[in-house]
Amino acid sequence: MTTARTTGYRPGLVDLASGQISREIFVNEEIYAEEQERVFARSWLFVGHESQIPNPGDFFVSCMGEESVLLCRDRAGAVHVFLNSCRHRGMKVCRYDEGNTTVFTCPYHGWSYGTDGRLVGVPYFREAYHSTLDRAQWGLVEVAQLCVHKGSVWATWDREAPPFLDYLGDFTRYLDQTLDSWDGGDGGTEILGGIQKWLVPSNWKFPAENFSGDSYHNISHRSVDLVGVGPSGSGRRDMPELQLARKLHIAIPDRGHQTTAYLLPRELSVPPGYQSSSVVADYFRHCEDVRRQRRGDWGRLITLVGEVFPSMAFLARQPRTIAVWHPRGPHQTEVWRWFLVDKAAPQEVKNFLRDYYIRYSGPGGMTEQDDMENWNYAHAASRGTIARRYPYSYEQGLGHEVANYEWEGFRLPGSVIDLTKANSSEHNLRNLYRRWAEFMEADSWNDLATWRRPSRAAAE
Amino acid sequence: MSEPINIRALRPGTRVALADGAIAEIVSNPADGVWLFARYLEAPRDPALIGQEDMIFAQDVIEIRS
Repeated sequence: MTTARTTGYRPGLVDLASGQISREIFVNEEIYAEEQERVFARSWLFVGHESQIPNPGDFFVSCMGEESVLLCRDRAGAVHVFLNSCRHRGMKVCRYDEGNTTVFTCPYHGWSYGTDGRLVGVPYFREAYHSTLDRAQWGLVEVAQLCVHKGSVWATWDREAPPFLDYLGDFTRYLDQTLDSWDGGDGGTEILGGIQKWLVPSNWKFPAENFSGDSYHNISHRSVDLVGVGPSGSGRRDMPELQLARKLHIAIPDRGHQTTAYLLPRELSVPPGYQSSSVVADYFRHCEDVRRQRRGDWGRLITLVGEVFPSMAFLARQPRTIAVWHPRGPHQTEVWRWFLVDKAAPQEVKNFLRDYYIRYSGPGGMTEQDDMENWNYAHAASRGTIARRYPYSYEQGLGHEVANYEWEGFRLPGSVIDLTKANSSEHNLRNLYRRWAEFMEADSWNDLATWRRPSRAAAE
Repeated sequence: MSEPINIRALRPGTRVALADGAIAEIVSNPADGVWLFARYLEAPRDPALIGQEDMIFAQDVIEIRS
């Protein structure tokens, strides 16, 4: 594939000035191979949640891009993320989804690792290696950096990447809406049940752009609204907010993160949304009141879908979920979806939300089935020689974004487009691809962390 | 040739004979079918090991003693 090399990603394949993006970045195998190195090996990636590994020896097998990784808590209680690959011949040292163990033993030749990653067992160490193998050099490969943020566990393979909260920048408070309890308490969420995993025959960027804030595709969920899958048993789940609030696209340009959010009027509380269960309705009403008291203006903000670059998506408004788009070749994505609830919520609330989450999201959920169908056929219809010649259009709202957006005295960080009247924009999608193109072109974090430059740092 | 031993089924406290003539008592079993955590009771080829805990490779276990 020579297109990328001769024209570059900006303004060649990702032309943000005209709002056009080549289909090649979705279907081209060389671009896919390059993004494994340039995007996934350098970014911070979501690995899991601390509530999945509460006890020493607990582990959860996750993924970072194409790599299988072990998220585990060692005997001393420290959290680690290791490459799930034996140092001897590469066999997976753990083939379970989750569990508790004292050692990870490779089934191929028997090398064995402690939960702290140290190589502790080598068959015939004295006889075959004559006790000379330096076991300290042959522990499991550990990520370069790890961060536990409000229970969520993130890691990167890149030592030069900025610390995680610096990587998030002004996006931290938007992400926190998913990780905090609904009453605004710090953290306070836990994973509900197991992880849903399924394959979608499309490039990983299709779901990534969808959850960045594709506000244009709601027509494809029309059947969901007609059925009344929402928590109140009728209509859209967010109709009350839609009628009262400002609906916003919010992007952090130099980080590549973005979200859609409702900003509620100062004098109005969140409309009730769980009328079919009085216990659940009471719980959320109480949480909303406390949240306003604790968070002030930030308590007026309800984030909807959002995306932490490159492949972690969240949905803060119920159903509260985290998804990761694991690349499985240019033409396939493995989706993992976590469901979150307030740890302190009554069991009846958790049970209600479990039922709602399952019928809304995931491979059996009505909304996600619509999405999969779209991504599946869009990808398939973009692979052909002729189809590749024609770029996609991302022109909605081009040039209409504003910095320092303010409504009723609350100024929001980021670059914002108000969707309240426009109904839709592709601002957030362009932000995703701007950052993606920067990663594909930049040789180092010196180029990517533009906020570190002296002139920018002084301005901030 | 003796019957293969199901390493995963061995419980803590079980004594096993090893290929090098040592006797060890199982302290814990990770049940991976490959390793045992055991304490040496007898070690004719290296008496310094007696009393020490070590990881015992499944294929070194040749007999169950008790």
